[in-house]
Amino acid sequence: MEKSKELYRYLTGFALAALLTIIPFTLVATVGGARSYIVLVLCAILQVIVHLRFFLHVSFRGQQKEDLQLVLFTGFILFLMVGGTIWVLGDLYTRM
Amino acid sequence: MSARTGQSLHPGLNLGEEHGDDHLEAETSVFGFWVFMMSDLVTFGMFFAVFATTVPLACCPGPKELFDLGSIAWQTAFLLLSSVTSGMAVLTMKQEHGGRGACSKKLVFWLLVTALLGCAFLYREISDFISMAAAGGPPTRSGYLSALWSLVGLHGLHVTGGIIWCLVIVAGVLVRGVDRRWKLTLLRWAVFWHFLDVVWIFIFTFVFLGGLL
Repeated sequence: MEKSKELYRYLTGFALAALLTIIPFTLVATVGGARSYIVLVLCAILQVIVHLRFFLHVSFRGQQKEDLQLVLFTGFILFLMVGGTIWVLGDLYTRM
Repeated sequence: MSARTGQSLHPGLNLGEEHGDDHLEAETSVFGFWVFMMSDLVTFGMFFAVFATTVPLACCPGPKELFDLGSIAWQTAFLLLSSVTSGMAVLTMKQEHGGRGACSKKLVFWLLVTALLGCAFLYREISDFISMAAAGGPPTRSGYLSALWSLVGLHGLHVTGGIIWCLVIVAGVLVRGVDRRWKLTLLRWAVFWHFLDVVWIFIFTFVFLGGLL
């Protein structure tokens, strides 16, 4: 019972990830346009959550405190460094 | 100690109680690998930041001339499938190798399928690199192209490393059997392999699909 549940978890993750991959690819292949960008970003974020949840077994409940802190701190650092770089250089770009 | 065997000791798939001490031993080893993986993600993040600050110049062919959407879709499919098959390998180890002993054919099968899918991904990626260079987009042409080649290339190098690591594990479990050392190695490799697919989500979304919009 427990075994099939674990297998089911990977297969659910695969189905969701495949769906979240097919949507952006079809969108770019058919409609396109700058307005589709928001859908691409949304699908990417959702798919990362699917991977973390179903493949990497990261969850907010039942997780040890340090583990979650590690992931959240890395997310924060990435936000600061990547966001800061894009902000500063994007600002310079518009002034050129 | 025994009270802790039931709970999740580290992020990622835990071996569980039937693995006895191996399960407890995995805590420090896998957590340590997660710390490395997070620092690796920051490295990738900086490559993304550099890429995001560059613009395709009018001098050189842009995304529409250089990218092949079909090929990117194949690479994405290969990598996603390999992520699932690597999960199958870890699941096989967890469920069928509670005790020590010779390694099962099923475990070797899933590991080899994962390595094969990884090779299929690399084959597509390298032929894309070759056709990009032929179409007038080598990395030396502009800042945008340098950033593109180094970001995608860094990911490709990681995949290459992951395939070699996978083959080393296959050799290890065949020769030594599925003992504690190889169990912990397999757990860490699976975390590495899953993260390669997570990074690829950002690459195909922002670099390729975003470029083609």
